[in-house]
Amino acid sequence: MKTFDYVIKDEIGIHARPAGNLAKKCKEFASVITIAKGEKEAGATKLMAVMGLGVKCGDTITVKAEGEDEDAAIEAVKEFLEANL
Amino acid sequence: MDYRQSAKEILEAIGTSGNLVSAAHCATRLRLVIADNSKVKKEVLENVDGVKGVFEAQGQLQIIIGTGTVNKVYDEFIDLAGVAAASKDDVKAAAASKAPWYKRMIKTLGDIFVPIIPAIVATGLLNGLLGGLSRAFPHLSDSYFFGLLNLFSNAALVFLPILIAVSAAKIFKGNIYLGAVIGMIMIHTDLVNAWSVGDGAETTTLWSWFGLWDIQNTGYQGHVIPVVIAVFLMCKLENWLHKKVPEVIDLFVTPLVTVLVTGFLTMTLIGPVFATVESWVLKGATSLITIPFGIGAFLMGAVYAPTVVAGVHHMYNAIELSMLAANNMNIWMPIATAANVAQGAAALAVALKTKQKKLKSMALPASLSAFLGITEPAIFGVNLRFMKPLIAGMIGGACGAAVASIMNVYATANGVTGVFGFLITTESFVGYLLTFVVASAVAFIVSWALWQDEKPQEAPAAPAPAPAEVKEEVKEEVKEEVKEEGPSDIIIASPLKGNAIALADVPDDTFASGVLGQGAAVEPSEGLVVAPGDGEITTLFDTKHAIGIQLDNGAELLIHIGVNTVEMKGEGFEAFIKEGDKVKKGDKLVKFDIDKIKASGYSTATPVIVTNTDDFADVTHVTTGSVEQLADLVKITK
Repeated sequence: MKTFDYVIKDEIGIHARPAGNLAKKCKEFASVITIAKGEKEAGATKLMAVMGLGVKCGDTITVKAEGEDEDAAIEAVKEFLEANL
Repeated sequence: MDYRQSAKEILEAIGTSGNLVSAAHCATRLRLVIADNSKVKKEVLENVDGVKGVFEAQGQLQIIIGTGTVNKVYDEFIDLAGVAAASKDDVKAAAASKAPWYKRMIKTLGDIFVPIIPAIVATGLLNGLLGGLSRAFPHLSDSYFFGLLNLFSNAALVFLPILIAVSAAKIFKGNIYLGAVIGMIMIHTDLVNAWSVGDGAETTTLWSWFGLWDIQNTGYQGHVIPVVIAVFLMCKLENWLHKKVPEVIDLFVTPLVTVLVTGFLTMTLIGPVFATVESWVLKGATSLITIPFGIGAFLMGAVYAPTVVAGVHHMYNAIELSMLAANNMNIWMPIATAANVAQGAAALAVALKTKQKKLKSMALPASLSAFLGITEPAIFGVNLRFMKPLIAGMIGGACGAAVASIMNVYATANGVTGVFGFLITTESFVGYLLTFVVASAVAFIVSWALWQDEKPQEAPAAPAPAPAEVKEEVKEEVKEEVKEEGPSDIIIASPLKGNAIALADVPDDTFASGVLGQGAAVEPSEGLVVAPGDGEITTLFDTKHAIGIQLDNGAELLIHIGVNTVEMKGEGFEAFIKEGDKVKKGDKLVKFDIDKIKASGYSTATPVIVTNTDDFADVTHVTTGSVEQLADLVKITK
């Protein structure tokens, strides 16, 4: 399992569009990818669940990936977050 | 318009197929992945007949062509470009390939064996009938006519490897006739029949691996797994050769090499090794279920239903076929029957005991179908939901299986259980009947005793409505049920009044492209969003411009008021609900100021998206143009 923390820099937080694009990105991998904010955790491919986390600017999220391509998955998510959020 | 001409011009404008990585299409657009975008001549593209617009998004070059036309242009396009079609199915197949290897393997075995079940059932039923007849009229079995019928009754088992080889070749995407040849080689009449070898027939050595391991000239009658493995290898080899061998000689070189190499490896390596492995598996399974006094069968009968839940049961076909092929006695099937009818009986107890109409109307047919041998509705729809009936079914299945084992019940075919199982168990009618009765009775009684009817689940959610409303609600619920169990379409009502448009026409790539899911959009004429169905609010943004709602019918909706309205930070929006609220169809959700959105320079187009689109077969919009609130907007096909 691979994991990393990320602090959201986007002013609005994770809203519909980035959540959708993130879900799309995560579907490319076989690994199970989850995003957690505090106690709450959501499958990254579940758009509604991710939006339901209510991630705002300045929040820290923890991304986890588990599966055969977890290294690639975690890199891709990191890249996505840095470019978009 | 001339589709081929348009396709040709598009191909030229993007810099010919050398510059094309992949091509797919959605309802309205060609979606191309381009190697070098600088080679694309956009102005030329835009002027191609039929092209309504061109833009780049998500790494794709999207060419808007329009519904009904895009697929035709696409067909010509991939033909001209010489690329393979990539469609939504590929994506789904890719998703399936993400399942763990053992699940894929079991699914593959199921896919191979299920299509040949009719052949086994036909001969098995005949076998059962002949068995019954010859016991009733002993002299009949000496007649030539009986001999003739006997041919029909075992042909499929005698030549089983050929059937399996053909089916496997189809699944592994090889040539099915070459597959058949591999099957034929394995049971060639010049080889000594494996059954005769068991009876003491002489064999000679065909081949020897370094003098250490002699390969005998024995056929593979009664083997299943070696055939599957051999054909798997054959298909891999064949497809590899098709790619490598120059086309001019492909027609004769590929089949020749395929059969030669596969045949040799099969007879000298794969066959002997996997036949041994298979006999261990079979011995293991057989000795497990024949532990004396019915103990083994009892255990298997108990865990059978959970293995159905896990999806492992497709593998049992292989065990049953091996048993049939070995001595025409399928002692697995009675255990399956015990487990299946027990689940049916457990569900029946639920059906008779419950006062919930919806549950009753589901449990009753589910139970009946379990008695006929199809258990999934009973297990998944009823028993697993409440757990206790599942356990009752496991106990009943265990008892029934124990009876079957003690009474030596066996079947002469596979693929049929439950009531129809009587037809293939004529040799042991009484035992099968007892198995059936014991399994059902025990499961029914235990389920009846353990399971307590629940109060209707919906009750605590609704805040105690007035009596008159209750009646109406019940009516509505009944209506909903009919919809759910009908031909499995779900209609999503429009949460807004206004002008309905296709999702692809929303002026935002993310929504238009369907990344978030399929659906429709409404350009509102009134600034009010209502609940399109009964459900729960899962998400409400602080800025109140987007609402997530989980509907009771299984659809997850995102209603996103306007485009980029997140920037308005909630100004002009007023919410009547909060996250976690239960809502009824028509409840007010959010009020918003259309003029304010327009004044801020944003589009008011409000996408209504089924975010779990992947869970359904299809999601389409029903209408465009003027819509009233709660008019039909989106259709979901399960």
